[in-house]
Amino acid sequence: MSTGSFEIGAEGVDAGQIMAEIQETVAAKMQSGAYAGAQLARAERFNLMNMKKDENFFDFYMESLREAVYVDINDFEILERRAVFAPLLVRVKRTLWSLLKFYTYRLWSQQNQVNGLLLSATEEVDRKYRDKIRNLEERLAKLESRLPPG
Amino acid sequence: MAKPRRIAFVSPRFSEGPTVGGAETLLRQLAERLVKAGWQVDYLTTCARNHFTWENEIPPGTKTFSGITVRYFPVDGGRDLDAFIRIQDRISRFVPVTRDEELIWHRNNVNSTALYDHLRTEGHHYDKIVMGPYLFALVVFASQIHPDRTLLLPCLHDECFARLETIRDMFLKVSGLIFNAEPERDLAAQLYGLDVSRAHVVGMGLDNFPVDPEGFRHRHRLHAPYILYSGRREPMKGTPILLDYLDLFRERTGMDIKLVLTGSGPYDPPSRLSAHILDLGFVSEQEKHDAMAGAVAFCHPSANESFSIVILESWLAGTPVLVHAAGSVMPFHCRKSNGGLWFRNYPEFEEALSLLLAKPALRVAMGQAGCAYVQREYSWKAVEHRLEQALA
Repeated sequence: MSTGSFEIGAEGVDAGQIMAEIQETVAAKMQSGAYAGAQLARAERFNLMNMKKDENFFDFYMESLREAVYVDINDFEILERRAVFAPLLVRVKRTLWSLLKFYTYRLWSQQNQVNGLLLSATEEVDRKYRDKIRNLEERLAKLESRLPPG
Repeated sequence: MAKPRRIAFVSPRFSEGPTVGGAETLLRQLAERLVKAGWQVDYLTTCARNHFTWENEIPPGTKTFSGITVRYFPVDGGRDLDAFIRIQDRISRFVPVTRDEELIWHRNNVNSTALYDHLRTEGHHYDKIVMGPYLFALVVFASQIHPDRTLLLPCLHDECFARLETIRDMFLKVSGLIFNAEPERDLAAQLYGLDVSRAHVVGMGLDNFPVDPEGFRHRHRLHAPYILYSGRREPMKGTPILLDYLDLFRERTGMDIKLVLTGSGPYDPPSRLSAHILDLGFVSEQEKHDAMAGAVAFCHPSANESFSIVILESWLAGTPVLVHAAGSVMPFHCRKSNGGLWFRNYPEFEEALSLLLAKPALRVAMGQAGCAYVQREYSWKAVEHRLEQALA
């Protein structure tokens, strides 16, 4: 969390300066891995359209997506929030889980295969267009260098 | 005695109640101000209330509201909705469409032949005709009738529809343009190569209002800090982003912060967040202002605002704002006023909100800076002066 070194001077606050500090903090935290993971990728699902002008963040999103792409198909701790009959309910749920596991395991394994393929395809498209843009920029630079000065 | 100047406003709907959008509210407010300034004001609109069905619900004819003569005209029937949706779908996906297809799209949008006929026969009696927002066929076709005396109040967003050839023609052919803020004018200049000397930045004025934040908290038993969003809840307004971000914020920081919503529209919050949302639906202006005054921040997650009245209201209530950076207008207001922060993604949202929560003095200073900005730039006196210049 950033609760940084902002100051309220005689002129009042400077929102631009505060934002610059926030962005610096965010960059450092992203670098350190404080902002990574499947939950973060999920929280950005409706914001992707707005990120089209932010290339750095697209890289970051792809990184989060790589971490989020595979569904966790392992066993998990079964809990019961309701106090009444909690041990009984937990036992029922555990039984249900052990009965269904063979089926859900197969289902989620296939889902993981699909997710993995989609991620690979997205990465490939991204790589292809980056290469294409780089080649075009190089060609453009060469052509510009041939133009007479002025 | 000098003859009063006559002006017509043209818009698909007239703002009679709280269910109409910001553009219609803006047009009505400007019309009311001109009545007070001695203009004779006609407001030409359709009989529709619902912006999805466009059914003729109000009887055709004339009514008077606050000195404005509102003339209701029926919406044309026989729309080919299939053709409309097919072309709109292509435009929305940035697939190029021909000029003929654009015209088919407009012809199957909201039109009123009766309103166009009125403008044809009576239009020359008006000294000025102000119309908007830009996206409706009604405005596109009405602007072609007397372009020499028409001022477009577009409420322009950076979106696919703004790139249509017919829209570009409208911007270039009308006699003048009234924008709500400088970034909106700059967007039009960039999209259409507009001569900015024809453009005026006017906006909407706001009056000071009393607030009772403690009363609001007490009425709704709110003990935890909260952020507020007021307006329509829909993907275009960014509400799903706010819901996801706040849910993650609560989880990552462990802070108990609530979300208060006013306005209308369905929304689908993450299940963990549901218990921490207070949805008040439509509320009175006073209740909304009290809610604004008690909030840690007013959050506006939309990337498609051409003005945003609610963030200006929030500043008048003394509360800072937290806005999405993707739209140019709201961050512009924040920079100019020092009354708010902006975010491009979740990490920036988390840092900015954490800062506002941790620093009450910063919140107060930003709220005061925003309030001073609204009183300076968006008092009715300042807006009326700019409007008179635009209509001169």
